Amino acid sequence: MTIGLTHYLILAALLFCCGLFVMTTKRNAVGILIGVELVLNAACLNLVAFSRYRVGTIDGQIAALFIIVLAAAEAAVAIAIFVNYYRMLATIDADKGDELRG
Amino acid sequence: MNVPTPNTWLPSADELHLFSPEFVLVGTIVAVLVVPLLVGRRPEVPALIAVLGCFVGLVATWAVSAQVADGPQAGMVPPSAGATPMLLADRFSVFYQLLLFLALGLITWLWLIGVQKRNGTDSTAERGGPEFFVLLLTSALGMMLMVSSLNLLVLIIAIETASLPSYALVASDKRSRLGAEAALKYVMFGATASAIMIYGVSLLYGRFGTLDLSVIASALDARYAELRSTVATFAPVTHVGVTDAVFWLGLAALGVGIIFKIAAVPMHYWCPDVFQGAPTEVTTWLSVASKAAGVGLLLRIVSLFTVTGPWPPPNLPPAVAGHTYAMTVAVLVGILAAVTCTVGNLAALRQENVKRILAYSSIAHAGYMMMAAAIIAAPSAASGVSAPTYNAGMAAVIAYLFVYLLMNVGAFGATALVVWQTGTDHLSAFTGLGRRAPWVALPLAVCLFSLVGLPPLGGFTAKWYLLLALGKSAATQPWLWVLVVVAVINTAISLYYYVRIIRQMYLRDDAALPAFRPPGGGVALVSACAIILLLLGTLWFSPLGRRAQALASDVYARPPAAHAELSHPM
Repeated sequence: MTIGLTHYLILAALLFCCGLFVMTTKRNAVGILIGVELVLNAACLNLVAFSRYRVGTIDGQIAALFIIVLAAAEAAVAIAIFVNYYRMLATIDADKGDELRG
Repeated sequence: MNVPTPNTWLPSADELHLFSPEFVLVGTIVAVLVVPLLVGRRPEVPALIAVLGCFVGLVATWAVSAQVADGPQAGMVPPSAGATPMLLADRFSVFYQLLLFLALGLITWLWLIGVQKRNGTDSTAERGGPEFFVLLLTSALGMMLMVSSLNLLVLIIAIETASLPSYALVASDKRSRLGAEAALKYVMFGATASAIMIYGVSLLYGRFGTLDLSVIASALDARYAELRSTVATFAPVTHVGVTDAVFWLGLAALGVGIIFKIAAVPMHYWCPDVFQGAPTEVTTWLSVASKAAGVGLLLRIVSLFTVTGPWPPPNLPPAVAGHTYAMTVAVLVGILAAVTCTVGNLAALRQENVKRILAYSSIAHAGYMMMAAAIIAAPSAASGVSAPTYNAGMAAVIAYLFVYLLMNVGAFGATALVVWQTGTDHLSAFTGLGRRAPWVALPLAVCLFSLVGLPPLGGFTAKWYLLLALGKSAATQPWLWVLVVVAVINTAISLYYYVRIIRQMYLRDDAALPAFRPPGGGVALVSACAIILLLLGTLWFSPLGRRAQALASDVYARPPAAHAELSHPM
């Protein structure tokens, strides 16, 4: 059996579903961030696989590089905000912040 | 795999000139970072640099507007064969640059008042001036690029450039517990939405074999023509294939990201929490600029679905013509718009916090603006109705956004003055404001009546042009009348909660509450907004409409290189 586009797409779809599951079920903010990273990696895998097997130009791979950088930047900002939240509430449980509601 | 040969690519001077407003913004960001190192960290320094940058940016925008007066100009075209532009400069993007520079100037003004007010009451008030402005200006840069991007990769980067600084801005008051909680909620929602959006973009890339929006538009045109020929001959309809399923999935995922930026239903949960927890000047910025950029992006994406043939296609019965991409997307946007403004208005009714009321009101207003995106810019050669040559939905949104900027800056600015004075943003803080600070209460009342949409204020003008555009387009899309009815009913609902604030200011009073003297700059800001709103409702009623039409893109505005040959026609 040769590994083709379909296999990569199925793997990416599985990663996406795992990420979505983690994002919706985790309460720990870092857990949610890990779910986000899974979904972003699924997107990267899709882009590279489509670029290699279907399109034949490298713009998909360049896009994947940009998305890796974006993921890093997003994680940096998110973790800074987690630290700030932790200093205030001594937890990073996203459910514990319930002063804003209505 | 054909790897393009490496070459050095320098954009031409003309191309660079098209994007001078963005370059001015980048220069301002650098100056805000560097100059305080030389002259010391006083809060006035970065604010002055930002205001200066806004003025230079407005001049640059004015220069660009002359260049794009005849039609859209594509920029940043790589020299390799078949390459397509990355960015678009047209009258619509020029309007956004204008709006964002104006908003930046007003927010800077508000921020300066806030700093002086806080320094007066709180000696430990230490709010990073340069950091605040770097974040603010960077998010403005992202919002400008959002509206002018022609490539899905540039689009993603623009959205993230707008979003990441916004998350940090919400937490910019580092001693605020509410700010920390709001920022956490914002970043969690935002990261989730943008991850799903990026996955959707990867699906669209697979479906069309390109990241370029103009090539995708051409591919959709081709697909539409194919569908039309199939359906017209009453051959079996074969348009629900795997490729179309991937297209719809990708588009839906992309839509999640856009809807998050607009804070429309079902991605609106973050909005009231973030707006309440963030510092008020940041709330003002998010409620105006972030939403405006999201609506602009939505209009751009929807206008992709504009088909180049006559509408509805003459050889098709209307029921079949409805089965096209454009109609489906327009109906979906219309449904979301109607639900968004209804949910926003109904949820605002039971709020007790003024910033939350205004947050829900901004959700409702985003809903009104989304209604304009449901107008498919389509001439109706078949039915003989003379169609406008400009994009009617864009014109309505341009008029609406300009008024919305003034209404929201006025309302949030007045709220900020009260919050800084009393330390709370609960409705009770506004008790007897008509006696305690008449020159804050009066402009606030004007802005609130304008938000309702009562004549003779700017809000009425904006709604008038919006409903007019919807009504005119209903000749070809009869279901737009539903949106008109929904908008009118919602206006009636919204009257209740806006008037509640006004009643609290003028009809309730508590003698124990002292009068206070608001800072002069703040009174000037909110009064200026109120006066311009009055003028927009009376003297400038028709000039606003004319100017908005002149700034809207042409119906078929596609960038020059849009019809390059497809690498993968489908």
